[in-house]
Amino acid sequence: MEIPFIVNARKDTGLFNSKVGIWLFLASEVTLFGGLFSGYLFLRLYADYPWPERALPVLPGLINTFILIGSSVTVVFAWAALKMREWRKFQIYMWITLICAVLFLGLKAVEYNAKFHHQGVRLSSEGSVQDFAYLEGHVHYAKLDENGKMVEVSKEDKKANPEGVFSANKIIFKASELTFALKRPAHEAYVKEILAQAGDEHKITLIGDYRVPNAEELLAGGKNRAQLESSEAALVVADGAKLSIDDLDDMEEAFLDARAHDKSIRTEFLRASWSWIRDEKGIEEISNLVITTDLWKERMAEDSEKIKPLMLSAPGTVTYKIEPALTLVWDPDDIPKLAKTEIKLRDDTVVKGELQPSPMLLGVDAIDFRHTAMRAEEEGIDPLEAIKQSWVLTHKNSKGENDLKKAWECHQAWLANLTKKLDEMSDKKGLEGEDRFVPTENDKYRVNWDQMVAYQKLDFDVEAVAAASADGSLQRSGLFDLSGFAGANHNNYKFPHVEIPRENVGFTSTFTPKWNTYYAIYFTITGLHGLHVIGGALVLGYYLFFGRKMYDSNPEWLANRVEVGGLFWHFVDLVWIFLFPILYLM
Amino acid sequence: MSADSHDHHHELPFWKKYLFSTDHKTIGIQYGLAAGAFLLFGFFLMIVMRWSIAYPHEPLPGYLSWIFTDGWKGRWLDDGKVTGETYNMFGAMHGTIMVFLGVVPLGFAAFGNYVTPLQIGAPDMAFPKLNMASFWVYLAGGIVMCMSFFMESGAAKSGWTNYSPLAGYADRQIVNQLLAGQTQWLIGLVLLITSSLLGSVNFITTIIQLRAKGLTWMRLPFFVWAMLVTGFLLLLAFPPLEAAGIMQLMDRMVGSSFFMPTGLYSAADDVALDLSGSGSPLLFQHLFWFLGHPEVYVLLLPAIACVAEIIPCNTRKPLWGYKPMVWGVIVLGFLSFIVWAHHMYLTGMGPVISTFFQTTTVLISVPSVILLTSLIISLWGGSIRFTMPMIWAAAFLPMFGIGGLTGLPLAFNLADLHLHDTYYVIGHFHYVVAPGILFGLFAGVYHWYPKMTGRFMDNFLGHLHFWPSLVCMNLLFFPMLTQGMAGFHRRWYNGGEGYIEKASDGVNVFGQTVADNISLNEVMTGAAIALAIFQIPFLLNMIISYFWGKKVTSDNPWDATTLEWATPTPPGHGNFTFDIAVYRGPYEYSRPDHDKDFFPQWEEPKSSAPLEEPSEKPEKETTEA
Repeated sequence: MEIPFIVNARKDTGLFNSKVGIWLFLASEVTLFGGLFSGYLFLRLYADYPWPERALPVLPGLINTFILIGSSVTVVFAWAALKMREWRKFQIYMWITLICAVLFLGLKAVEYNAKFHHQGVRLSSEGSVQDFAYLEGHVHYAKLDENGKMVEVSKEDKKANPEGVFSANKIIFKASELTFALKRPAHEAYVKEILAQAGDEHKITLIGDYRVPNAEELLAGGKNRAQLESSEAALVVADGAKLSIDDLDDMEEAFLDARAHDKSIRTEFLRASWSWIRDEKGIEEISNLVITTDLWKERMAEDSEKIKPLMLSAPGTVTYKIEPALTLVWDPDDIPKLAKTEIKLRDDTVVKGELQPSPMLLGVDAIDFRHTAMRAEEEGIDPLEAIKQSWVLTHKNSKGENDLKKAWECHQAWLANLTKKLDEMSDKKGLEGEDRFVPTENDKYRVNWDQMVAYQKLDFDVEAVAAASADGSLQRSGLFDLSGFAGANHNNYKFPHVEIPRENVGFTSTFTPKWNTYYAIYFTITGLHGLHVIGGALVLGYYLFFGRKMYDSNPEWLANRVEVGGLFWHFVDLVWIFLFPILYLM
Repeated sequence: MSADSHDHHHELPFWKKYLFSTDHKTIGIQYGLAAGAFLLFGFFLMIVMRWSIAYPHEPLPGYLSWIFTDGWKGRWLDDGKVTGETYNMFGAMHGTIMVFLGVVPLGFAAFGNYVTPLQIGAPDMAFPKLNMASFWVYLAGGIVMCMSFFMESGAAKSGWTNYSPLAGYADRQIVNQLLAGQTQWLIGLVLLITSSLLGSVNFITTIIQLRAKGLTWMRLPFFVWAMLVTGFLLLLAFPPLEAAGIMQLMDRMVGSSFFMPTGLYSAADDVALDLSGSGSPLLFQHLFWFLGHPEVYVLLLPAIACVAEIIPCNTRKPLWGYKPMVWGVIVLGFLSFIVWAHHMYLTGMGPVISTFFQTTTVLISVPSVILLTSLIISLWGGSIRFTMPMIWAAAFLPMFGIGGLTGLPLAFNLADLHLHDTYYVIGHFHYVVAPGILFGLFAGVYHWYPKMTGRFMDNFLGHLHFWPSLVCMNLLFFPMLTQGMAGFHRRWYNGGEGYIEKASDGVNVFGQTVADNISLNEVMTGAAIALAIFQIPFLLNMIISYFWGKKVTSDNPWDATTLEWATPTPPGHGNFTFDIAVYRGPYEYSRPDHDKDFFPQWEEPKSSAPLEEPSEKPEKETTEA
């Protein structure tokens, strides 16, 4: 059996099958990306925070645009070569197309990587307008000293001795007791991590025996509860057992079995009571009204007396003590609930002890007050007043200094000069009212990384910055400045360093989809687009590397396939042409 | 296809012939069996829910709970009673399974796959391997979704619509999110969408490219038209939901806030959620219903398609209004893309948008009524043979009519304010789907079963299946309309008993209306259980008839006119044994100038009237291989 119109076109439609197929598929792709683009619009229009405009480095995106456009041309040449039965040419053009795809993905990886290492912090502090200032930068490293206090580790020291070093965005908690909830399986990775951090010095042992009466012994009768519980068969894990995932699994299983046993007995009793009230008492009221009658309540009271001795009643939690107390270093993402004396992990394990100072150490490359200003304006407060109360400007480091405040003052000097220049320009052109040039929100409330570098080079000297701004010698990064190719480069520059107390960390994340809805949509659309590039490259690569056989037997068929693959490739290019402006330029 | 190409295909090994087959007929049957299994499972979930609604304080009876292990019951039942959490989980999965895993695969994928290529005279689908891939991706999606019933988190529990922020928050306590039911629902959904995309590309291409010579567009059976429109609906409406699914997956897996608004707070932990916020729950609803509404027509059109084939065949007269029906279905398909927000009148999206969607919603009833009316008028003056398929098809008409007409009040903003999220809505769409669409599909099973197996289904068992089902369906769904108008909310796991106490307070009118109507719960639960029992004759019929049913005496046992009846019974690989050509329209019954009361599309005219020449003969393909 053969399917017609695989190679040659059907006369009345003028198309071969896969060409119809690919156009249909592309139509569905249009609505797929259409959904995502409308998501972008929706999120941007209804954002309740200042949308990050032009936040991405443009150069990698621009290069990628040209790479993709170029590859779209070469893929057509490859197809044309096949049509003219020039295998060698086909190979060359297809190779170029594939190299373009790899270059594109490589640049994408560089961009992504920079973001994965870039941390954002939304500060929070008490006050009428909450802080909402953002700091951006790189998290520094730290480790625990012999007293369990967090101390900073430089990059060089980390390289020399990486043991025990963690990135300084962790919860430090002095733990003395662990309580596991048996109705949920203990997360193995957590238990392993606790054991690893405990090492040999800290002993983690079970408090009291974990005993569950044996169901068979119980049903056989003849023993009271105390006898049942002290029986050999009841022991699951003995007092003083060291913490292990196997023990936890055993206890969990014993608990779940006991719960199933108890519940099935209770179910039988309840079922019997319903038959009794229906059959013997002949009550046919709407079933849920029956339970409000005295007859039913009495029966339930009787039942509960009968049920009690039949229950295994396994305890639902087990507690381990830690001696001596252990200082745990834990990822804040895994702690849904944090209190001074107790933390709860995501698997409902409760750790008791004492919260230690867990500051976040950050090399700050950008300060952003736009959200603070937005909130202040909503509440009718002067934005500059609200900014003054921000932790960014009020805190002091151990030396009693505040580099960020200096940077902000430099920025004010730069802004004053900018405002003056814009005023002059407006006057020269004779602009009035709303037509006059004014600084943007970004100019007014954000110190970008390249400005931070420029102010730092002048030692945060306000007068020097003012002078440099006036004579135009203050350097900012341009489009083709490769030192900041994918954003702030912490290897080349030394940025101000701050220690943010945990209570001032409102929300923090690397520049991943979690950071805000802009990065969420950025990663989702570009990620999905990247997957399309990979998929297209795989298909085109298949034609290049495994197409020779088909070329020899049926070159027209191969040309059809390349044509279809090329159409897909053009679509992928087209998506990028929409993506580049909306994500990088607007 | 030439006749000789049949002879040189060799016998395939079992796994290639029945398991990983690329033959559209085998794939159609695979889809049918898998979808049937999912339908039964979804039905079972519903009976458990209905038990909880009618008897919230009674343990599940043994005949419903034997399927669960003791451990499972310990986790999910409260002393044998269904808990609110379990009810939510079953409710979400009942909807999901019935829509995505049951009815769509049965209607579009199973019937579409089996019948469409036969009706257009094609040897197979345009992309047979893709066809096989869509089935296995569908099955994988279904298994991923249902697997979570057995895991710590349980299955998805945020309604079949999966609205955020609820759906973004549920199962958050699970450390490995890949093992959370709510996440697996999304993964399963993405797989299902992928499957239907592959399927719809395949269907449309097949219909455009592989029509037999002479089979011009207006000679296509209505069935094929309906499949074509359904294919376009799936093709264009599903991807935005895939986008939404991916975004929600991001929300769950990497903590983004696409659909999570600012300021979410967890009462259980007494903390603000660790999220950036500023997401939009409304965006999810828009993307969901952009699929969700066309999906309703994806459910419906295959059923109408089956009925439109069965009625002319059994009334022995042409389909009344073939052309208006074709244009009607095209307009219906188009309009179905611009009515979605009528599911969202109460979301606060604003009166202007509501008014727009109210208008388009009322507009779409025009083509729907054209379709239904044409089918009803087709009965007029026919000498109707009440064969088993015809009985089902005839019942489809009024049942679907009730379903459609009860939708009208919901289309209007003002009436919807009262009816939104009540049992009235449930009654409305279940009338459409269960006694409507499912009856149409049952009709299809009885109609094409002889072609698939070479044997008729048994009439006695058929009647034993039909009449009780008809009665039970109405006992099950009509009271919902009553309860809905009385204000019963669609998500009460205990059927509204919380309001009965309030009835004693004379001022509380709502408590009184609940008390007046709550006893209907028991009627509906009884009807649901009876309905389940009366599906047994059908299952038996499927099996018994396969081995012992009455054999067909010809390849065209119903004396029908469309091309699928020109194949051998059952059709072999490659379908047709002769060069198929089409000479006339699809429903040439009782032509006065013809000696028999049917004139099949493939039969050559006796006198070569020039008008009946095949209009265009596509060139036979020449391959250089």
